[in-house]
Amino acid sequence: MKTEKSNQIKLEEHIMANTIKNLMANVKREKLLSISNIFVMTLTFVLLGFFISIIVGTQTTLKRLEQQAQITAFFKDDFPEKNIMELKARLETDERILSVAYVSKDQAFKIFTDINKDEPVLLESISADILPASLEIRAKKLSDLGNISSELSSLDGVEEVKYFRDVIDKFKTFSGVITIIGVALLIIFFLTSYAVIIVTLRTTIHSKGTELEIMKLVGASDTYVKTPLLYQGMFFGIVSAFVASIILVLYLQVFLAFMAGGFLGMDNNALTIFPGVFVRPILFQLFLVIILLISGVSLGYLGSLTAVKKYLKY
Amino acid sequence: MPQIEFKDIIKTYENTVVLDSISFSIEDGEFVFIVGPSGAGKSTIVKMLIREEFPDSGCVLFSDQNVFDIPQCDIPNLRRRIGVVFQDFKLLNSKNVFENVAIALEVVDAPEETIKNIVPNVLSMVGLTNKMYSMPNQLSGGEKQRVSIARALAHEPDILVADEPTGMIDPVSADEVMDILEKINSLGTTILMATHDYNIVNKMKKRVIRIENGKIKSDKIGGTYNG
Repeated sequence: MKTEKSNQIKLEEHIMANTIKNLMANVKREKLLSISNIFVMTLTFVLLGFFISIIVGTQTTLKRLEQQAQITAFFKDDFPEKNIMELKARLETDERILSVAYVSKDQAFKIFTDINKDEPVLLESISADILPASLEIRAKKLSDLGNISSELSSLDGVEEVKYFRDVIDKFKTFSGVITIIGVALLIIFFLTSYAVIIVTLRTTIHSKGTELEIMKLVGASDTYVKTPLLYQGMFFGIVSAFVASIILVLYLQVFLAFMAGGFLGMDNNALTIFPGVFVRPILFQLFLVIILLISGVSLGYLGSLTAVKKYLKY
Repeated sequence: MPQIEFKDIIKTYENTVVLDSISFSIEDGEFVFIVGPSGAGKSTIVKMLIREEFPDSGCVLFSDQNVFDIPQCDIPNLRRRIGVVFQDFKLLNSKNVFENVAIALEVVDAPEETIKNIVPNVLSMVGLTNKMYSMPNQLSGGEKQRVSIARALAHEPDILVADEPTGMIDPVSADEVMDILEKINSLGTTILMATHDYNIVNKMKKRVIRIENGKIKSDKIGGTYNG
């Protein structure tokens, strides 16, 4: 009776120990493979986050430039203020226009004197009469600035129309190029990481060849054989995404401080994640971490599934 | 209705005909030897029964079902009904005797209680109760083969297929293995054993199917190695 009980306890201890032993043995056996796999995936995810933040940065900068971009229409000295105010009222009803501000001759002179307060000789030679009155017009869309400018130029009483078209166009092209290169690099790194996972898991499967062969010969189902390998792939993915998230959140503190600081006087409370979509920086970081974790799990799962499929044929 | 039926099986490997229109059937509870020289196609027959090999033509019926028509998802079920013993034992050196047998039950998600009941029982049947926690490298060839038989029995299969089970063990251990197989057969399990060990075949006086040059040369109950 006593021996029977002792045998039973021994059996239970054995089954528990077996599970833990197998887990530890696998970790030990595949340590180098696991580390290299996690390293490559982490690198991929850091680059993914890095490119996303660059794209968001350029989009936000572009939006800021668009908001700052304005047309200034200068009027002839003999064009009455009443007519300018009528034109202002008309422009304010135009759907394309965000805002219109009137700068009178006196206000223009005040701005001029503020800017040139250290140049007394220059200030002496200039009076309010010399400076033209103007309207400062901001458009809702950058693309409408050209048409609005042409329309204003053709109006009576308008002396000159100015806006910094070249700078904005160049930045827009630059932003587009950054986005395209970023997306292309992301795809390349994703495919590389996917390939690495497949190769790593195939090596793992190969090292377990006899065990898997025996499992199949004694009637293991596909699910039984592949499930631990799928979990392993997802584990690699999620650990890599987690490590990458920590690195990126730290990097983003510097990046966001740069955006909020002197850089174009950026408003740190609204990042543009897509054209027309604004989020707070904390939400952006959360969004990035979620993207990374989802990518990690999916990449690990799909990579493992592809790797294991070949070995499941009966 | 025969338990197993091979019908007009033709199998070629790189233009060499290994099995040429092989047909035979085995009844429930029989003990059958498949004999013949090396390369005669004995192992191919065993592999076809568990669908590890496919013929060029012909079919293998197991309980009236063509094993080559079984959907892939049902192959594990087929293999659970057929216990297989290999010449090279196919044991995992990193697992002890208990674990090597338990793997057959773990793969079907058998509850721990079931594993704890069945494994000691089958190990007792093959006389290895005292070696339950030994590692394979601490066992003799005959003992390793008995572990392999215990693993094959874990599912209580309808048939036990043994491919050269005495090929890598000494004659005394081979006799012990044959005693165990005979005992299992006496309990109602069909045994199909491929071998070229004529001493064993001649001693056992069971049904012997002799294959030569891809064809069945003789099929005799109480036969000997040479017919």
